[in-house]
Amino acid sequence: MAAIETRDLTRRFGETVAVDGVSLTVDQGEAFGFLGPNGAGKSTTISVLLGFLRPTAGEARVLGRDAVDASAAVRSRVGLLPEGYEPYANLTGREHVRSAVRTKGTDDDPDAVLDRVGLDPADARRPAGDYSKGMQQRLFLGIALVGSPDLLILDEPSSGLDPTGVGLLRELVAEEVDRGATVFFSSHDLDEVERVCDRVGIMRGGELVAVNAVEDLRSELGMGSVVEATLAEPPASVPLADVDGVSDYETDGRVVRVQCTEPPAKMRALAALDAVAVVQDVGLEEPSLETVFEQYTGGADEGAEAVDPRDEPTESAAGASAESAATGGE
Amino acid sequence: MGVGTVFRDDLRNARRSKIVVGVVGVFTLLSTLIFVSEINIFDDAVRSLFDLTALVAFLFPLFVASLTYLAVAGDRARGSIKYVLGLPNERWEYALGKYLSRGVVAVTAVLGATLVGFVVGEVAFTNGADPERFLTFGLVSSLYALSLTGVFVGLSAMTASRSRAMFAAIGAFFVLVPFWNNLLPVLQVGTVIDFAETLFGITVSEETRLTIAGLSPSTAYLSATAPVFEGAGDQYEVVRAVIGGDTGSLADELWFNLLVLVGWGGGVPLVGYLRFRRAELG
Repeated sequence: MAAIETRDLTRRFGETVAVDGVSLTVDQGEAFGFLGPNGAGKSTTISVLLGFLRPTAGEARVLGRDAVDASAAVRSRVGLLPEGYEPYANLTGREHVRSAVRTKGTDDDPDAVLDRVGLDPADARRPAGDYSKGMQQRLFLGIALVGSPDLLILDEPSSGLDPTGVGLLRELVAEEVDRGATVFFSSHDLDEVERVCDRVGIMRGGELVAVNAVEDLRSELGMGSVVEATLAEPPASVPLADVDGVSDYETDGRVVRVQCTEPPAKMRALAALDAVAVVQDVGLEEPSLETVFEQYTGGADEGAEAVDPRDEPTESAAGASAESAATGGE
Repeated sequence: MGVGTVFRDDLRNARRSKIVVGVVGVFTLLSTLIFVSEINIFDDAVRSLFDLTALVAFLFPLFVASLTYLAVAGDRARGSIKYVLGLPNERWEYALGKYLSRGVVAVTAVLGATLVGFVVGEVAFTNGADPERFLTFGLVSSLYALSLTGVFVGLSAMTASRSRAMFAAIGAFFVLVPFWNNLLPVLQVGTVIDFAETLFGITVSEETRLTIAGLSPSTAYLSATAPVFEGAGDQYEVVRAVIGGDTGSLADELWFNLLVLVGWGGGVPLVGYLRFRRAELG
């Protein structure tokens, strides 16, 4: 049974398509990064998974249950850190957690939960309306953890967190995955996703344009690693043209930069160079997830030209307006 | 489980709100002023209770509206609803918890006013406060408070923004109080009936007119308080004029008045919930 499974999930707001035929499977026990620029349809998808919105077409199942018909049953096994929320201004952080414990019918100690997310005991007893954004994020992260949920849905969880908080978030995600929980991590904080997630899905203009491990996404786009070899002296010739997996190379004095499309090509290229010269130093450049992300999404929220591996170009801006319609209120 | 937690959280949040405490405090103050200012005017505390009835019937709805119009719409606009419904609460549990907590605040306000009136009446009036009459008044007023709470929370559940919730509350107040009580020239329920008579060429009997007039929670409340003043305020002309004699319409029947109050207090929240049940919360 998958933790999350959507089939041709579509959500329209009038003429605008916010989520367009998304089919996605997130396995139990994995940390899955859900990436996309603002307005790509991430939050709309999450709202459907939680039963806040109904799909226009298609199906969404969470932990084996229908996300719409069995919403409360689903939520009893899900921990949610939402986006665009406010706590009850006059309730303390501790009271929020205590109510979550009561509602979920668990025996968590609210103080232990708040300690785990690094909320100071004195702050935990202050009205949550006085909290900074970072403190609110910690509080809601704690609420999400109540009851050791099978699935954690974290919507932009590092938003507002300081570097310490981001580090703590990373640790918590790792702990939860070790426990056996599934973590669905929606973000445009690419570094964070790359650090904590096994696989990522990239949304653009309401469509899921890529799902894979980060390394595989790089390969898919032909964005393999760059090996930089420093030789003892400038080479008379560079025998790399026929090496499998080497797409390009350039020589600058003693330095040879080799573009590799697959991991084994790195060693093959180095072996070829070592056969004709003394390799004194080796450097390696991996394209960041950000580079991959930009290739898939056009690199901006404004709908710039984008690479689409499925050759179905869509405008990111359409998705942006779609989600604005979904979340913009009245 | 869910209703209780939503109820407790919302009530605790309201209790600590300066705005809520301020609204309840101002209403209590106005009620106190009625009794204190009439100490040297009337001998009977029950006469001041009659004036409190007018305050409750015509102005209390505005106080209840301010305490309740954001009950659901405010949570939706702020996103607090994602906290409650991110947890395994059903929507009906959330809506019912909200109704009950706001109802407790409204009932507390009107019972507080009644209690202050009773104390001032007992201590300062020549003919002090009759506990039974004040208790009856408190009970009927509590039902009115719950009925109004139901109307405004129900409307709040139908709306997704603060502005729409506010317009809905103001509209409901206008229709249910000034319009239905004929407090304004022309814009009255009677004028609408006249128009209907002309349009359809029918005649509406006086009895039917009175029954229609008795269908608002405010008019039903005023009629339902008649037993409070029977045999006690009759010497005052204004009391006699309002509680009046038997006109033969349903609006004079206590059971009908209570049914109207229960109907508004149950019907609007039900419609509100049915809308809210399928509302888009994303």
